[in-house]
Amino acid sequence: MSMTDEQLQAEIEAWLAANWKGVPAHTESFGRDPRSEWLAKVRDAGWAVPRWSAEWQGRGLSNDQAKIVERAFAKVGAPGAGQDRSNLWANTALAHATESFKRTIVPQLLAGEVGMCLLYSEPGAGSDLAAVRTRADKVDGGWRVTGQKVWTSGARVADYGMLIARTDWDVPKHRGISFFFLPMKQEGVEVRPLRQITDEAHFNEVFIDNAFIPEENLLGPLNGGWGVLQTALAYERSVMGDAARGPRSGAGGPKGDDALLGLAREAGRLGDPVVRQDVAQVIAWRVLNKLNTARAKAELAQGTSSPIMSLGKLAMSRILHEEARVRTMLLGPESLLEGPDHPRAEDANFLTLNAYFTSIGGGTDQIQRNIIGERVLGLPKEPEVDRTIPFREVRAG
Amino acid sequence: MTDTLVRPSASPTMLDADDRAALVDSVRRLLADRCAEADVRRIMDSESGHDPALWQALGELGVIGLVAPEAAGGAGLGPIELGLVMEEAGAVLLPAPLISAAIAATLAPDLPGLVDGSRIAAVAFVGCHDWTGRSDVRLDGDRLTGTARFVPDAAIADVIIVASDEGVFAVEHSDVAVTPLPVFDRTRRMADVSFRGPATRIGGTSRIKAARDLGIVALAGEQAGGARRMLEITVAYATDRHQFGRAIGSFQAIKHMAADLLLESESATSAARDAARQLAEATPTADAAIALAAFACADAFVRVAKDGIQMHGGIAFTWEHPAHLYLRRARSGAQLFGDSNLWRENYITALEAQA
Repeated sequence: MSMTDEQLQAEIEAWLAANWKGVPAHTESFGRDPRSEWLAKVRDAGWAVPRWSAEWQGRGLSNDQAKIVERAFAKVGAPGAGQDRSNLWANTALAHATESFKRTIVPQLLAGEVGMCLLYSEPGAGSDLAAVRTRADKVDGGWRVTGQKVWTSGARVADYGMLIARTDWDVPKHRGISFFFLPMKQEGVEVRPLRQITDEAHFNEVFIDNAFIPEENLLGPLNGGWGVLQTALAYERSVMGDAARGPRSGAGGPKGDDALLGLAREAGRLGDPVVRQDVAQVIAWRVLNKLNTARAKAELAQGTSSPIMSLGKLAMSRILHEEARVRTMLLGPESLLEGPDHPRAEDANFLTLNAYFTSIGGGTDQIQRNIIGERVLGLPKEPEVDRTIPFREVRAG
Repeated sequence: MTDTLVRPSASPTMLDADDRAALVDSVRRLLADRCAEADVRRIMDSESGHDPALWQALGELGVIGLVAPEAAGGAGLGPIELGLVMEEAGAVLLPAPLISAAIAATLAPDLPGLVDGSRIAAVAFVGCHDWTGRSDVRLDGDRLTGTARFVPDAAIADVIIVASDEGVFAVEHSDVAVTPLPVFDRTRRMADVSFRGPATRIGGTSRIKAARDLGIVALAGEQAGGARRMLEITVAYATDRHQFGRAIGSFQAIKHMAADLLLESESATSAARDAARQLAEATPTADAAIALAAFACADAFVRVAKDGIQMHGGIAFTWEHPAHLYLRRARSGAQLFGDSNLWRENYITALEAQA
């Protein structure tokens, strides 16, 4: 019962016309979604995941037809369509969860009815994620988990955390990890906000003490969690994209790629040839990064893989750190101040600190250079002394 | 010669993707055959720095008249195709006056012999487009006087085209005094040209900026191609070369430099191609795009060549290794049409004009 593009287009437009009345704004990717009533409607109509089969709330549409759906939703500003590409949680669950668990969880995830968070990094496992020491020990009907996780967004409002924990200590580190949906609302899971260098608290520490995970919440094979993590990380990268934020003052001020130009003008410094050189260079890096991204997308659309996609993070780190430096130079001693009466200083100082969100978060720039060197340029890997020995014997700390 | 770029249907426009790929491929094959490293060194070591046989082959392929109008016997192609051809030329350090030919095709499309390469043109930008800041050429009645400095390809040129604030002039080689300069990059020869006699006015000033912009697009392509090849050479060496029982490219000290250079060389490629596209489409932001390419590509090529030598270690400190040839070429391109500081200034000026 395949339909033509025109029929599909007409059906969506009619459905949206009948149902779409707007929803509350929602910008966080974590926690329960205030739009869940609407999202449930989208899910039940089959628009949430049009590429998936009807068995999983989809319509079995081709990629091209699914894009028709996404465009129709985008046109009226309605959220919820195309989650078969964008919903990290649902995609991971559908690919790896046990049959019984995914029957329950996938529909809830598609409607944002459950809040989610990521329990990957630990104080002792940052760049080296395979070194996690949070332990999950087998008990009747499931697992008992003990350990500490960090850099967790949305943990306070999450119902589940996607958790990697060690389930075998006698094999090399990549082979003894399992992947779970940990129920967060239980004794033994304590969430504490983590105060960042920016004096904000977007992240949490999660202390796990003998918390319980039911049998069915294991994703993928026991001790096969590293593989599940790789697919989840791939989704995450495609979903999160460039998470770099601009200034937070909200005090207006010049915006866009050439915001520095406006700031320099405002500061009365546009006549200074040294300032002009620095401003031009930072704007140039921004524009070059956009040109690179556009080229990468064009190459990907032609079906050739592009080496450029991996460069955006490095490029953005340099842009942000350098933009913060130039903003500070434009301000001079005013950069010593902060607070709402000094929005430009607030912006410059915030950017100085928050640039690390990009250059450290999601894997440091140094790890990214390893990835580019090895996967893009084909350079040999660094020897890993801990790759083949039982994790129990790996030196830590 | 059947393998030619001149196609009956080509209007002064762009090729489609397939034809463009075929063009690039034909140039690449010719250069692989005729412009290997040994050829570059032979030409570089010759007195003229020019290989007439290679030049003739480029002419037969249609590369010399690539952007010349079809009516004048050229291929009638535009900045995009020129940029891609120059990426290939830059990759192998082709020592041939292609940039001069592209500029001449814009300034003097009707001068005989330029399109097929039977005559060679050099171009001296003087007056407001004098990137050397050292030329003192003046028009005195119908005579040009003074000296144009650092004119690329002037010693082998049959005709010197002067782009001045008073218009475009053509002067035969026999009517000027050419003093070849002892240049650091022996693959891009330059000379001082002293004028002492009558000059033929062949046009007004209206085409000069477009010609200069086309030259920058050509140079940017050359630099992007050179940067990419230098990085390839470096990565290949870092993969093969073993010390401490490991490929040196497995050390993060080397690997991280390589990753940074990939960002530089890919950014150069993006900038060069965007400038070419914007010039071809005459977009309102073309001035900014050309300025951006001018400094981004120059800086990227210099950095990749410099760091590439460092990453090689001792082998690249030898004359026989090609790395220094890339650094020399990168450094000569970084002066041509003005240095990066000038173009960063031009870039911010263009951005101010857009705002």
